[in-house]
Amino acid sequence: MPNLFHLVLQIAAILMAARVVGFLFQKINQPQVIGEMVAGILLGPSLLGWVAPGVSAALFPPQSLGYLNALSQIGLVVFMFVVGLALDPTELKGYGHAAVLTSHVSIVAPFCLGGLTALYLYPRLSDDGVTFSGFALFMGSAMSITAFPVLARILSERGLVRSRMGTLAIACAAVDDITGWCILAYIVVLVRVTQAGRPAWVTMSGSLLYVLTMIFVVRRFLPAFERAYRKRDRLSDNLVAVIVILLLASALATEWLGIHLLFGAFLMGAIMPKTPDFTRYLLHKFESVIVVLLLPLFFAFTGLRTRIGVGGGSAVWFYSALVIVVAITGKLGGSMLAARLSGMPWRDSAALGVLMNTRGLMELVILNIGLDIGVISPAMFSIMVLMALVTTFMTTPLLEWIYPSRLLQAQVNEIHKNVA
Amino acid sequence: MAVAYLVLVGLPMLGLLGILEAGRNISAALAIGGDWNLEFAADPQCASGSATLRQPALSISQSGREAQITLNDGHATTLPAILNGNVVSAKLLTATVTGKPESRTIEGRISLAGCAPVAFRAVRASPQKRGE
Repeated sequence: MPNLFHLVLQIAAILMAARVVGFLFQKINQPQVIGEMVAGILLGPSLLGWVAPGVSAALFPPQSLGYLNALSQIGLVVFMFVVGLALDPTELKGYGHAAVLTSHVSIVAPFCLGGLTALYLYPRLSDDGVTFSGFALFMGSAMSITAFPVLARILSERGLVRSRMGTLAIACAAVDDITGWCILAYIVVLVRVTQAGRPAWVTMSGSLLYVLTMIFVVRRFLPAFERAYRKRDRLSDNLVAVIVILLLASALATEWLGIHLLFGAFLMGAIMPKTPDFTRYLLHKFESVIVVLLLPLFFAFTGLRTRIGVGGGSAVWFYSALVIVVAITGKLGGSMLAARLSGMPWRDSAALGVLMNTRGLMELVILNIGLDIGVISPAMFSIMVLMALVTTFMTTPLLEWIYPSRLLQAQVNEIHKNVA
Repeated sequence: MAVAYLVLVGLPMLGLLGILEAGRNISAALAIGGDWNLEFAADPQCASGSATLRQPALSISQSGREAQITLNDGHATTLPAILNGNVVSAKLLTATVTGKPESRTIEGRISLAGCAPVAFRAVRASPQKRGE
């Protein structure tokens, strides 16, 4: 039986820390979600466990973490559905060569640099239970991810959504997300097949069959939800429950196939009808409970597994700096260069690079998968979490530096004039 | 644009293939992370009765050559350990790692609190799982 007192106490402490740190981060013009991510880290061994080990041990005893993990995983499943829901493939149309080149380079450049860094880090931070190719491909995909939700929120807060740079950033992030998750699914299959001894072709063909069924069979029935919504401007509780059941069934299918729960949840969201008001309605329905309650639990659970600067000495700080520099060079530098070669002005290219460098909580999701399947070690996990925090934190100030508010306002005014 | 695509996407992809090929020759530390059951060669001779280790007796969290061994002794005694080749050294334990990752064993001597050093053999309690 779970110790309910402990669990409720943990949830209360996590929510309080998330709200307070999130509020403080808003005060320094950072998105609240970054503050919540940092709050999770502060509750773990990197701060609370270090300065007050007694309090930490009493609040988060190891045997109680299973329940916290279960709750945070449920939150993540719904969150990935929401991410898929917010992703509109039609956004990719009409951007031509610039989007294709920029998005592909923004994946390939950090991916290759991640692989190159793996040559140095594999013998130092991994072990022979993981193949080099598994480690290198994971490093590459973790370096190349972009936090689509955080990026969209930053663009929206700064009124850049309808600018050329903003729309290109969203299109590129969408391509990055889809490609990144496909690559990650492949890596998970690769690692799990090795561990389970199941032939790779069984998982591969099963996954292909599942994706085709979702796209060509399940998707045909989904417009019925939209039609029901149109009739009353809302969905009945029973229909919302059916959507949740479909989402859970899809998540279970991918878990059973040996990929991961989250891929099924993401795909279910991605194939939902994309009419703006219907999408907005569903997002509103699901988002509040995820954002307020379940994501902070995930951040806290991630924080409890993260040991920034604990043990390892100066070498760990060197590895951290190396990973951060490589991640920024590959993602920011690669995207900026590609955008410039596509004909964008330097300022817009640099801003696009900064936006694509936002890794946010999508990185944390990927890193947790990597740690769960054993492809990265606890030290590598902590280093990559630090990289995710730094690259996400730097986005807003760098964007303000490249695109000061006065210039931004002029561009926004121009957009409004063109629309009018 | 085609040239830019070839240079910025095609060439790095070839480079990645080269990296994966080069990495095949790199070796990493022996994997010892996970939960381990201990078998003692003889009953540990302890000052007050027998040792109180429950199975899985060892939980190892590993990052490269560095590891953290947690004893399942009721106090979760934690020992920082280092792996040199196939030898694991910690404050209360010295052992040798043998076998392939899937059938690996650890054999050596351990000094439990209040007990004389005793020889042990450890086998994996479950498949390697480092995320906990």
